Amino acid sequence: MDNNPILRIATKILFAPIILFGLYVQFHGDFGPGGGFQAGVIVASAFILYAIVFGLEKGKELFPLSINIFLLALGGILYGGVGIASMMLGDEFLSYNVLGSSQQAGQHIGILLVEFGVGLTVSNVMIALFYAFASFESSNGEKK
Amino acid sequence: MISSALGVWNYWVVFLLMMIGLFLVIGRQNFLKKIVGLTIFQTSVFLLYITFGKIKGGTPPILNNINETIYSNPLPHVLILTAIVVGVATTALGLSLVLRINSEYGSIEEEDISAQDLVDYHDQIETSKTVSIKFKK
Repeated sequence: MDNNPILRIATKILFAPIILFGLYVQFHGDFGPGGGFQAGVIVASAFILYAIVFGLEKGKELFPLSINIFLLALGGILYGGVGIASMMLGDEFLSYNVLGSSQQAGQHIGILLVEFGVGLTVSNVMIALFYAFASFESSNGEKK
Repeated sequence: MISSALGVWNYWVVFLLMMIGLFLVIGRQNFLKKIVGLTIFQTSVFLLYITFGKIKGGTPPILNNINETIYSNPLPHVLILTAIVVGVATTALGLSLVLRINSEYGSIEEEDISAQDLVDYHDQIETSKTVSIKFKK
Protein backbone atom coordinates (compact mmCIF):
# COMPACT_ATOMS: atom_id res chain seq x y z
CA MET A 1 0.00 0.00 0.00
CA ASP A 2 3.04 2.26 0.27
CA ASN A 3 2.88 3.23 -3.43
CA ASN A 4 -0.29 5.28 -3.04
CA PRO A 5 0.67 8.94 -2.48
CA ILE A 6 -2.79 9.95 -1.19
CA LEU A 7 -2.66 7.38 1.60
CA ARG A 8 0.95 8.19 2.48
CA ILE A 9 0.45 11.95 2.72
CA ALA A 10 -2.90 11.61 4.52
CA THR A 11 -1.23 9.33 7.07
CA LYS A 12 1.61 11.80 7.60
CA ILE A 13 -0.88 14.63 8.12
CA LEU A 14 -3.18 12.62 10.38
CA PHE A 15 -0.57 10.91 12.57
CA ALA A 16 0.13 13.78 14.98
CA PRO A 17 -3.50 14.98 15.37
CA ILE A 18 -4.62 11.42 16.19
CA ILE A 19 -2.09 11.21 19.02
CA LEU A 20 -3.03 14.74 20.17
CA PHE A 21 -6.70 13.75 20.26
CA GLY A 22 -5.76 10.62 22.18
CA LEU A 23 -3.95 12.72 24.78
CA TYR A 24 -6.95 15.07 25.01
CA VAL A 25 -9.30 12.14 25.66
CA GLN A 26 -6.81 10.74 28.17
CA PHE A 27 -6.47 13.87 30.30
CA HIS A 28 -10.05 15.06 29.86
CA GLY A 29 -11.21 11.74 31.30
CA ASP A 30 -10.99 13.11 34.85
CA PHE A 31 -13.81 15.60 34.26
CA GLY A 32 -15.89 14.29 31.39
CA PRO A 33 -16.29 11.50 28.88
CA GLY A 34 -13.01 9.81 28.08
CA GLY A 35 -10.35 7.97 29.96
CA GLY A 36 -7.59 5.45 29.57
CA PHE A 37 -9.41 2.79 27.57
CA GLN A 38 -10.65 5.12 24.83
CA ALA A 39 -7.43 7.14 24.69
CA GLY A 40 -5.33 3.98 24.52
CA VAL A 41 -7.23 2.71 21.50
CA ILE A 42 -7.02 6.11 19.77
CA VAL A 43 -3.25 6.38 20.29
CA ALA A 44 -2.79 2.78 19.15
CA SER A 45 -4.82 3.49 16.00
CA ALA A 46 -2.23 6.10 14.95
CA PHE A 47 0.61 3.57 15.09
CA ILE A 48 -1.51 0.86 13.45
CA LEU A 49 -2.44 3.27 10.63
CA TYR A 50 1.25 4.04 10.09
CA ALA A 51 2.13 0.32 10.02
CA ILE A 52 -0.71 -0.48 7.61
CA VAL A 53 0.20 2.26 5.13
CA PHE A 54 4.01 2.11 5.26
CA GLY A 55 4.36 -1.61 5.91
CA LEU A 56 5.03 -3.66 9.03
CA GLU A 57 8.83 -3.21 8.87
CA LYS A 58 8.60 0.60 8.94
CA GLY A 59 6.01 0.38 11.70
CA LYS A 60 8.32 -1.75 13.80
CA GLU A 61 11.16 0.71 13.15
CA LEU A 62 8.94 3.54 14.45
CA PHE A 63 7.74 1.61 17.49
CA PRO A 64 9.89 -1.47 18.21
CA LEU A 65 8.39 -4.59 19.72
CA SER A 66 10.74 -4.48 22.73
CA ILE A 67 9.57 -0.98 23.76
CA ASN A 68 5.99 -2.08 23.10
CA ILE A 69 6.20 -5.04 25.50
CA PHE A 70 8.06 -2.94 28.08
CA LEU A 71 5.42 -0.17 28.08
CA LEU A 72 2.66 -2.80 28.17
CA ALA A 73 4.01 -4.16 31.44
CA LEU A 74 4.81 -0.66 32.77
CA GLY A 75 1.15 0.36 32.55
CA GLY A 76 0.05 -2.55 34.69
CA ILE A 77 2.84 -1.87 37.18
CA LEU A 78 1.81 1.81 37.37
CA TYR A 79 -1.80 0.82 38.13
CA GLY A 80 -0.77 -1.65 40.82
CA GLY A 81 1.90 0.72 42.11
CA VAL A 82 -0.67 3.45 42.85
CA GLY A 83 -2.65 0.87 44.83
CA ILE A 84 0.43 -0.27 46.75
CA ALA A 85 1.49 3.36 47.37
CA SER A 86 -1.86 4.17 48.97
CA MET A 87 -1.49 1.05 51.13
CA MET A 88 2.00 2.21 52.16
CA LEU A 89 0.58 5.60 53.16
CA GLY A 90 -1.80 3.91 55.57
CA ASP A 91 -5.10 3.47 53.70
CA GLU A 92 -6.79 0.79 51.65
CA PHE A 93 -5.70 -0.48 48.21
CA LEU A 94 -6.37 2.17 45.50
CA SER A 95 -7.77 4.65 48.04
CA TYR A 96 -6.56 7.91 46.46
CA ASN A 97 -7.34 10.23 49.38
CA VAL A 98 -3.96 9.85 51.08
CA LEU A 99 -1.84 10.41 47.94
CA GLY A 100 -1.94 14.25 47.95
CA SER A 101 -1.74 17.00 50.52
CA SER A 102 -5.54 17.28 50.66
CA GLN A 103 -8.24 14.71 49.84
CA GLN A 104 -9.13 16.42 46.57
CA ALA A 105 -5.50 16.68 45.44
CA GLY A 106 -5.05 13.01 46.27
CA GLN A 107 -8.07 12.05 44.16
CA HIS A 108 -6.68 14.08 41.22
CA ILE A 109 -3.25 12.48 41.38
CA GLY A 110 -4.65 8.98 41.87
CA ILE A 111 -7.11 9.11 38.97
CA LEU A 112 -4.51 10.70 36.68
CA LEU A 113 -1.90 8.00 37.39
CA VAL A 114 -4.34 5.09 37.22
CA GLU A 115 -5.85 6.30 33.95
CA PHE A 116 -2.37 6.83 32.53
CA GLY A 117 -1.46 3.26 33.42
CA VAL A 118 -4.65 1.97 31.82
CA GLY A 119 -4.00 4.04 28.70
CA LEU A 120 -0.42 2.77 28.35
CA THR A 121 -1.49 -0.86 28.72
CA VAL A 122 -4.47 -0.65 26.38
CA SER A 123 -2.61 1.16 23.59
CA ASN A 124 0.33 -1.25 23.76
CA VAL A 125 -1.90 -4.33 23.91
CA MET A 126 -3.67 -3.13 20.75
CA ILE A 127 -0.34 -2.53 18.98
CA ALA A 128 1.00 -5.89 20.20
CA LEU A 129 -2.13 -7.65 18.90
CA PHE A 130 -1.70 -5.92 15.54
CA TYR A 131 1.98 -6.88 15.32
CA ALA A 132 1.16 -10.47 16.29
CA PHE A 133 -1.55 -10.81 13.64
CA ALA A 134 0.32 -8.94 10.91
CA SER A 135 3.53 -10.96 11.34
CA PHE A 136 1.72 -14.30 11.52
CA GLU A 137 3.31 -16.96 9.34
CA SER A 138 1.48 -20.17 8.58
CA SER A 139 3.04 -23.57 9.27
CA ASN A 140 3.61 -24.01 5.52
CA GLY A 141 6.07 -21.13 5.66
CA GLU A 142 4.10 -18.85 3.33
CA LYS A 143 3.09 -15.47 4.63
CA LYS A 144 -0.64 -14.75 4.87
CA MET B 1 -49.49 3.19 21.56
CA ILE B 2 -47.18 4.06 18.65
CA SER B 3 -45.56 6.91 20.58
CA SER B 4 -44.82 4.62 23.51
CA ALA B 5 -43.32 2.04 21.16
CA LEU B 6 -41.17 4.70 19.50
CA GLY B 7 -40.28 6.19 22.87
CA VAL B 8 -38.13 3.15 23.63
CA TRP B 9 -36.30 3.22 20.27
CA ASN B 10 -33.05 2.31 22.00
CA TYR B 11 -34.51 -1.13 22.54
CA TRP B 12 -35.55 -1.36 18.88
CA VAL B 13 -31.96 -0.61 17.88
CA VAL B 14 -30.74 -3.24 20.35
CA PHE B 15 -33.20 -5.75 18.88
CA LEU B 16 -32.17 -4.94 15.31
CA LEU B 17 -28.43 -5.20 16.02
CA MET B 18 -28.94 -8.43 17.95
CA MET B 19 -30.86 -10.04 15.08
CA ILE B 20 -28.27 -8.86 12.52
CA GLY B 21 -25.52 -10.40 14.64
CA LEU B 22 -27.42 -13.65 15.18
CA PHE B 23 -28.15 -13.93 11.45
CA LEU B 24 -24.49 -13.43 10.57
CA VAL B 25 -23.40 -16.05 13.10
CA ILE B 26 -25.80 -18.78 11.96
CA GLY B 27 -26.34 -17.80 8.31
CA ARG B 28 -22.81 -17.26 7.02
CA GLN B 29 -20.29 -19.97 6.15
CA ASN B 30 -17.23 -17.73 6.39
CA PHE B 31 -15.62 -17.80 9.83
CA LEU B 32 -14.45 -14.19 9.58
CA LYS B 33 -18.03 -13.08 8.92
CA LYS B 34 -19.19 -15.15 11.87
CA ILE B 35 -16.77 -13.21 14.09
CA VAL B 36 -18.08 -9.93 12.69
CA GLY B 37 -21.58 -11.17 13.60
CA LEU B 38 -20.48 -12.03 17.13
CA THR B 39 -19.04 -8.54 17.54
CA ILE B 40 -22.26 -6.89 16.35
CA PHE B 41 -24.25 -9.10 18.74
CA GLN B 42 -21.93 -8.05 21.54
CA THR B 43 -22.43 -4.38 20.71
CA SER B 44 -26.20 -4.78 21.00
CA VAL B 45 -25.76 -6.15 24.54
CA PHE B 46 -23.53 -3.18 25.42
CA LEU B 47 -26.22 -0.78 24.20
CA LEU B 48 -28.90 -2.66 26.17
CA TYR B 49 -26.99 -2.28 29.43
CA ILE B 50 -26.10 1.37 28.82
CA THR B 51 -29.81 2.04 28.20
CA PHE B 52 -30.67 0.45 31.56
CA GLY B 53 -28.17 2.67 33.35
CA LYS B 54 -29.17 6.00 31.80
CA ILE B 55 -31.52 8.20 33.81
CA LYS B 56 -33.09 11.27 32.19
CA GLY B 57 -31.25 14.37 33.41
CA GLY B 58 -28.76 12.20 35.27
CA THR B 59 -25.15 13.31 35.67
CA PRO B 60 -21.98 11.25 36.12
CA PRO B 61 -21.79 9.99 39.72
CA ILE B 62 -19.32 12.59 41.01
CA LEU B 63 -19.92 14.34 44.34
CA ASN B 64 -20.76 18.04 44.01
CA ASN B 65 -22.09 20.83 46.18
CA ILE B 66 -25.62 20.83 44.71
CA ASN B 67 -28.15 18.97 46.82
CA GLU B 68 -30.43 16.31 45.31
CA THR B 69 -28.46 15.73 42.11
CA ILE B 70 -29.77 12.85 40.00
CA TYR B 71 -27.03 10.39 39.10
CA SER B 72 -27.04 7.89 36.28
CA ASN B 73 -26.50 4.37 37.55
CA PRO B 74 -22.73 3.75 37.27
CA LEU B 75 -22.90 -0.03 37.72
CA PRO B 76 -24.03 -0.94 34.14
CA HIS B 77 -21.45 1.47 32.71
CA VAL B 78 -18.62 -0.16 34.64
CA LEU B 79 -19.88 -3.63 33.72
CA ILE B 80 -19.88 -2.68 30.05
CA LEU B 81 -16.45 -1.06 30.27
CA THR B 82 -15.16 -4.42 31.42
CA ALA B 83 -17.25 -6.24 28.81
CA ILE B 84 -15.75 -4.10 26.02
CA VAL B 85 -12.22 -4.99 27.13
CA VAL B 86 -13.11 -8.68 27.39
CA GLY B 87 -14.78 -8.40 23.97
CA VAL B 88 -11.56 -7.15 22.38
CA ALA B 89 -9.67 -10.08 23.93
CA THR B 90 -12.21 -12.67 22.76
CA THR B 91 -12.26 -11.17 19.26
CA ALA B 92 -8.47 -11.43 19.14
CA LEU B 93 -8.67 -15.06 20.30
CA GLY B 94 -11.29 -15.85 17.63
CA LEU B 95 -9.23 -14.19 14.90
CA SER B 96 -6.14 -16.13 15.94
CA LEU B 97 -8.13 -19.37 15.73
CA VAL B 98 -9.27 -18.34 12.22
CA LEU B 99 -5.64 -17.71 11.23
CA ARG B 100 -4.60 -21.16 12.47
CA ILE B 101 -7.52 -22.81 10.66
CA ASN B 102 -6.56 -20.96 7.49
CA SER B 103 -2.96 -22.13 7.72
CA GLU B 104 -4.04 -25.75 8.34
CA TYR B 105 -6.85 -26.07 5.79
CA GLY B 106 -6.10 -23.24 3.35
CA SER B 107 -9.67 -21.99 3.68
CA ILE B 108 -11.98 -20.38 6.21
CA GLU B 109 -15.23 -21.51 4.58
CA GLU B 110 -17.12 -23.95 6.78
CA GLU B 111 -18.15 -26.15 3.81
CA ASP B 112 -14.59 -26.56 2.55
CA ILE B 113 -13.33 -27.47 5.99
CA SER B 114 -16.02 -30.06 6.70
CA ALA B 115 -15.49 -31.52 3.21
CA GLN B 116 -11.76 -31.86 3.90
CA ASP B 117 -12.52 -33.39 7.30
CA LEU B 118 -14.87 -35.91 5.64
CA VAL B 119 -12.18 -36.90 3.15
CA ASP B 120 -9.68 -37.33 5.98
CA TYR B 121 -12.19 -39.39 7.91
CA HIS B 122 -12.80 -41.76 4.99
CA ASP B 123 -9.06 -42.04 4.40
CA GLN B 124 -8.62 -43.04 8.02
CA ILE B 125 -11.32 -45.73 7.69
CA GLU B 126 -9.64 -47.07 4.55
CA THR B 127 -6.21 -47.26 6.17
CA SER B 128 -7.60 -48.86 9.32
CA LYS B 129 -9.33 -51.51 7.16
CA THR B 130 -6.15 -52.39 5.33
CA VAL B 131 -4.25 -52.49 8.63
CA SER B 132 -6.80 -54.87 10.14
CA ILE B 133 -6.72 -57.08 7.05
CA LYS B 134 -2.95 -57.22 7.19
CA PHE B 135 -3.18 -58.09 10.85
CA LYS B 136 -5.50 -61.05 10.08
CA LYS B 137 -3.08 -62.40 7.55
